[in-house]
Amino acid sequence: MDASSTGIQEPFDLIRLSLSERVFVKLRGDRQLSGVLHAYDGHMNLILSDVEETIMIVDVDEEVQPGAQRTVNVAKRKMDMLFVRGDGVILVSPPSRT
Amino acid sequence: MDDNTPPPPPPEENSPPPAPSSHTGSPTDFLKGVVGKRVIVRLTSGVDYQGVLSCLDGYMNIALEQTEEHVNGVVTNRYGDAFIRGNNVLYISAAEPI
Amino acid sequence: MASQILPLELIDRCIGSRIWVVMKGDREFTGKLLGFDDFVNMVLEDVTEYEMTPEGRKTTKLAQTLLNGNNICMLIPGSAGPEES
Repeated sequence: MDASSTGIQEPFDLIRLSLSERVFVKLRGDRQLSGVLHAYDGHMNLILSDVEETIMIVDVDEEVQPGAQRTVNVAKRKMDMLFVRGDGVILVSPPSRT
Repeated sequence: MDDNTPPPPPPEENSPPPAPSSHTGSPTDFLKGVVGKRVIVRLTSGVDYQGVLSCLDGYMNIALEQTEEHVNGVVTNRYGDAFIRGNNVLYISAAEPI
Repeated sequence: MASQILPLELIDRCIGSRIWVVMKGDREFTGKLLGFDDFVNMVLEDVTEYEMTPEGRKTTKLAQTLLNGNNICMLIPGSAGPEES
């Protein structure tokens, strides 16, 4: 399956085709979002609704077991409506088109 | 001194004829050659994305298909499609012959 | 008249030979330079990536690669890279 068969000529087409769909967004600072995409612009500023944010907090307990013991704390919270500044965006994954 | 150097405008135009192959030389030529191929995209954070390159734009924003996210050599996520914001990209490397 | 040479003309003369690329962070690349553009995005072949970590130097071999010019700090023409010095 190549790009011509999927109607994607440029990367932003992926985002355009995801409007009104639930998308996964990976942000700088170990943050992840899942929400419904309402709007975007060329900076990748986003408006999302019905958002769940996941924050990964990794504590390395060097004193307990050097280099080995890692505890990952996952914090979650929900927001009704959210503006995301584009410069923090790493990756956007739309729902599967299959 | 050095008066026998060629005139300024095209310094090395007389050397080899343009190579017939389309996959050498400039970044643009490279990108033409890898669209539709498997690539490794490494971000400045060190995270790798392996997938089929659908398309990209002048900001190095990238659309990937059948994407695997690798962190420290371990697959941490899979995405049917992924939009990667270009400012995070360290390199795009061909993962199959082009 | 002093011969005026632009920095990128020097890099242009490196096309076809090996080059050592030092990034802003703890990362370096060596490879054969195939081409570059005005942003100094570079296409390299037979690439070795060197990552300087607290545990030591980690190397990765890569085929043809487009390196984003954004994070490039220095270019050393004709060098085999950190192994050599």
